[in-house]
Amino acid sequence: MSNISRTVIISCAGMGNRLGLGSTKALVEVEGKPLIIRHLEMLDGEKDVRVVVGYQAEKVIEVVKQYRKDILFVFNHNYRSTGTGASVALAARYANKYILSLDGDLLIHPEDMKRILEYDGEFVSGGVPDSDDPWMLQTYEENGKEYVSAFSKNAGSYEWNGITQIQSAKMLSGTGHVFQMVETYLPLPFMELRTREIDTINDYERAVNWVRNHYSDEQV
Amino acid sequence: MSKLIFLFDLDSTVTREEILPAIANRFGIFEQMRQVTESTMKGEIPFKQSFLQRVELLKNIPVSEVCQLVSGIKLNEKVVEFIQKNKSRCYIVTGNLDIWIKGLIEKIGMESHTFCSSALVRDDYLQDVISIVDKNAVVSQMLLPFVAVGDGNNDAEMIEAAEIGIGYGGVRNIAPSILSCASHAVYSEERLVEFLQRLI
Repeated sequence: MSNISRTVIISCAGMGNRLGLGSTKALVEVEGKPLIIRHLEMLDGEKDVRVVVGYQAEKVIEVVKQYRKDILFVFNHNYRSTGTGASVALAARYANKYILSLDGDLLIHPEDMKRILEYDGEFVSGGVPDSDDPWMLQTYEENGKEYVSAFSKNAGSYEWNGITQIQSAKMLSGTGHVFQMVETYLPLPFMELRTREIDTINDYERAVNWVRNHYSDEQV
Repeated sequence: MSKLIFLFDLDSTVTREEILPAIANRFGIFEQMRQVTESTMKGEIPFKQSFLQRVELLKNIPVSEVCQLVSGIKLNEKVVEFIQKNKSRCYIVTGNLDIWIKGLIEKIGMESHTFCSSALVRDDYLQDVISIVDKNAVVSQMLLPFVAVGDGNNDAEMIEAAEIGIGYGGVRNIAPSILSCASHAVYSEERLVEFLQRLI
């Protein structure tokens, strides 16, 4: 585990309308376990973990505190009119030097989470394009390292997955998307990660299969 | 160093047990007290009425006995330590009566840093309640930005008005009215104090 001063922010304030499961997305269960708990299980060694709540806040808090008591809950009461960026900005106040920002509705390959936690500096992350309406990352290589140069709707080799580690001081204001707040500070190092986002019921079924297959993409 | 002032609810925030129910328990009137306290937490009875009902239940007990029992109530030691270390910037804001919490407040060392309700005593018995603290009025006097920590309905306004408003659920559940206006919620004393340190 790296020794950087880090605050982990998990954004769980959104409503998840498109999924139609009647529950905020972080509480959606994959193989009998809510997404938020899947995150927390991989973050046991992190001291400053903050969960941003909004829609169904009480339900999320109840589930989280059953698993772990020492979580700082941050409220985004304006979750209906603001994006994840607002949630991250609220949670980045009085945080450690770096924040690691994760969406509550994402599944992350456990091995990749280990790589994240071992990583010492800033990065922006993406993966193989997989969803219907992605924001793409444009990247370039320099001295054998890959950097993100822009976010784009039209072109790019990777799909932005919402995961970034960045100095908290850079993330203190914003009401829209996280990438809009990160954009100002590009270029930033790129990290490729295997993730599944759960936006629609089709995403959900694919994610369940992914976990069942031990996070392998091969068809069984 | 920040300019923040810190306002703490007393019951179940500074203390590790609920004061009035704990007292009621020693005098065998726990059940009546529990009913009133629960309706208050749910927001069914306004704080003022519920507080007066609870005072009524305890008014036949000598004030000195209540005061002594309150002095022995279990405390959240880490919260108390934070308050004592940062005394000049910390205040206790409680609906409880001066005559009952006097010993406890002295023990913590917050005599001149407490806003509370007050009552008249005659021959060691509570005669009349003089005033019930209005937490909203207390915070409207503050010129500096403040942090507020509490768990009950009567803390909601102070938590809503705070720069950082923290619901603390380490002793009992945080009232729904707090959850709908707080900026933060925390359920472990260690985590609460760790976050407060960041605000100094």
